Amino acid sequence: MPTQTRRAGGFLLWFAVLGGALAWTVHLFVAWGVDELTCRAGNTSVGGVPVRGIVGAGVAVPALVTIAALLLAWRGWRRATAAKRDDDSPRMERTGMLLLIGLCADVLFLAIILAGGAAVLVLSPCQ
Amino acid sequence: MSVDTEEQSRSTSRDEALAELERDWGERPSLRGWFSTVDHKRIGRRYMVTAGIFFILAGTDAMILRTQLARPNATLLSPEMYDQLFTMHGTAMIFLFSTPMFFGFGNFLVPLLIGARDMAFPRLNAFGYWVFVCAGTVMFTSQLVGRAPDGGWFGYVPLTDTPYSTGVNLDVYSLGLLFLGVSTTAGAINFIVTVVKMRAPGMSLNRMPLFVWAIVGTSFMVIFALPALNLANAMLFLDRRFGAHFFDPGHGGSTLLWQHLFWIFGHPDVYIIVMPALGIVSAVLPAFCRRGVVAYPLMVLAIVTISIISFGVWVHHMFATGLPQLSYSFFSAASTLITIPSGIQIFAWLFTMLRGRIVVRTPFLFVVGFIVTFVLGGFTGVMFAITAFDQQVTDSYFVVAHFHYVLFGGAVFPMLAGIYFWLPKFTGRMYAERLSRWAFWLVFLGFNTTFMPMHVSGLLGMPRRIYTYPGGLGWDIWNLISTVGAYILAVGLLLVLIGVVHAVRRGAPAPDDPWQGDTLEWGTTSPPRPYNFAPVPQVHSLHPMWDERTTGALAIDEPLPDHRAMTTSELDGREEGVIEMPEASLLPLAVAAGILVVVLGLLWAWYWTGWYWFAGAGALLIFGAVARWLWPPERTPEEAGVAS
Repeated sequence: MPTQTRRAGGFLLWFAVLGGALAWTVHLFVAWGVDELTCRAGNTSVGGVPVRGIVGAGVAVPALVTIAALLLAWRGWRRATAAKRDDDSPRMERTGMLLLIGLCADVLFLAIILAGGAAVLVLSPCQ
Repeated sequence: MSVDTEEQSRSTSRDEALAELERDWGERPSLRGWFSTVDHKRIGRRYMVTAGIFFILAGTDAMILRTQLARPNATLLSPEMYDQLFTMHGTAMIFLFSTPMFFGFGNFLVPLLIGARDMAFPRLNAFGYWVFVCAGTVMFTSQLVGRAPDGGWFGYVPLTDTPYSTGVNLDVYSLGLLFLGVSTTAGAINFIVTVVKMRAPGMSLNRMPLFVWAIVGTSFMVIFALPALNLANAMLFLDRRFGAHFFDPGHGGSTLLWQHLFWIFGHPDVYIIVMPALGIVSAVLPAFCRRGVVAYPLMVLAIVTISIISFGVWVHHMFATGLPQLSYSFFSAASTLITIPSGIQIFAWLFTMLRGRIVVRTPFLFVVGFIVTFVLGGFTGVMFAITAFDQQVTDSYFVVAHFHYVLFGGAVFPMLAGIYFWLPKFTGRMYAERLSRWAFWLVFLGFNTTFMPMHVSGLLGMPRRIYTYPGGLGWDIWNLISTVGAYILAVGLLLVLIGVVHAVRRGAPAPDDPWQGDTLEWGTTSPPRPYNFAPVPQVHSLHPMWDERTTGALAIDEPLPDHRAMTTSELDGREEGVIEMPEASLLPLAVAAGILVVVLGLLWAWYWTGWYWFAGAGALLIFGAVARWLWPPERTPEEAGVAS
């Protein structure tokens, strides 16, 4: 049990909690930035790659990262919940709460990425 | 030694220890003591009083504006005066009232809520307050001499850039906000460090009061959002005074750049204002529902996610600027989905009431008033997330109605709830219940009568920021109702003021815990002693004052001696060490005065070019005072702790 607690308290914990937020931030600035700057410059491609392709990647990759963070948060939360039965220290309580927050946050950020990304399929860039 | 003698001896030694603590933490009763205090409670109260004065001034501006708009073709104000009044009203309410008022709440309450003796950097705290006072005074003085900012609170270029805005007015705006930004940034850093490192032992992240979470979330937003505003204002000042062309398309600049920079700050700022208010609601409800707020982890989730998503919605203020449609979609998605964490909080409060045993007192009434108005503001907010609707009502009175529902409903109602709730702790006195209920109903009625009709006048096409209008457009009656509502609202707010003054002068002495609250501040005296807590509290749960282990720990006879405070670990609140806290000092005031001299020098140089030397003199004063501030204290290595 202590091994699991340690594993859940380091980098992976913070990735599970904030990974979705980070991925969404990257998605927003990459997808919006590329679309905005390229279109304002009067171009439809960047280095030969169409804007739609870059924006699509700016949606897909962050979405995958968020899914990874979500799965990690789910697994960590279940472990923390199980471990809490044996160890009700403040540390385990804190880990469980942070992972629950991560779980919900990742779902929310995945929803925003997908909702923003849906427009890529519908609208043509620079419209 | 008999048991009685032992008990007496222990009591004497405790009294001596408390007297020593009082000497170590109390301030000198002199003018110098008044100016040099670094006590977070004094500074918190001063923030609130000063922000309250600015609120009255900005509210007076609003009353004059509403009087002018009551009837068509009115001539109470000239267009130029109207421009200055609405700009100062908005600028002051956003920058000189809302945020500083919550900084006041935070300053007074955060150390008490986390069981600390002071903020982590008490001198920085005092410095932030003095800068705020100076910046606000400069801005309101400009109004007295007819040189107040006149380009709207969000100061859009090219209107505010040369050559469209001559005179010193917009320099007051750009320099004033830059000046104020110093204060806000200093305060935010202080809050973060205080909460991260000075929580009472046992207060792990999952035992932190929601108000404290809200203040930390707000502080992080300030740290990330404010640089964009500071940058924009510095660039505007350079454009106006030194011939730069950041916002001049004729020389390769961009007017949209201002909007991007302003709203990258501006939208998070809505939450910077509202978030502490949400924290107040979460603090007030448990006391009047006799149970903790339900779904604590989800409430924290809402605070964290709002703090992040609020940075990805700024373009919804720019849906009418002609950016590509695909760009709008990202911001439309974020703007729509930010309602989820906001909704989580609303539902959590409703469930808390549903599952609690409600005691209706004035703070509770203001919380209910907040929920009603904030939800209405939220509804129109969702409407704005739809690009097509936004483009129809942009810059109309519908927007004015929406943001007053969000900001007055979302910030002022909770603020008033907080004032009544913590008044016993702030002043040691109780308020008069009947008078305060009258105040609530007048404020609630007046607010809705003022702003509800603006939705209609906006939909009928009335643009914002017009100083008058011709009759017969269908706007007359709605404007008249709004103005009548504004006067009712003003009477309600006046009753609040009378109630507070009455409480301070004639209120019944307050017990330590009049509401049976759940958080640590209720474990101190009303008002708290200079050292807050004699023994450092040991926290065992999310509701320490409802937990016998914590209340028992507070009674332990082991005061932490001297002018020292405890530090704990960031995540779990484990004891780490003891640090010596800085003494009272005039240096924070001196540095703030130096910045004031720089700002005045730069402003006066508009009239007398040679007066840039005056700004240089201010810079020297700042340099000298900061050097003295940072000079290593003459202490032995054992005595040395964290500096100020």
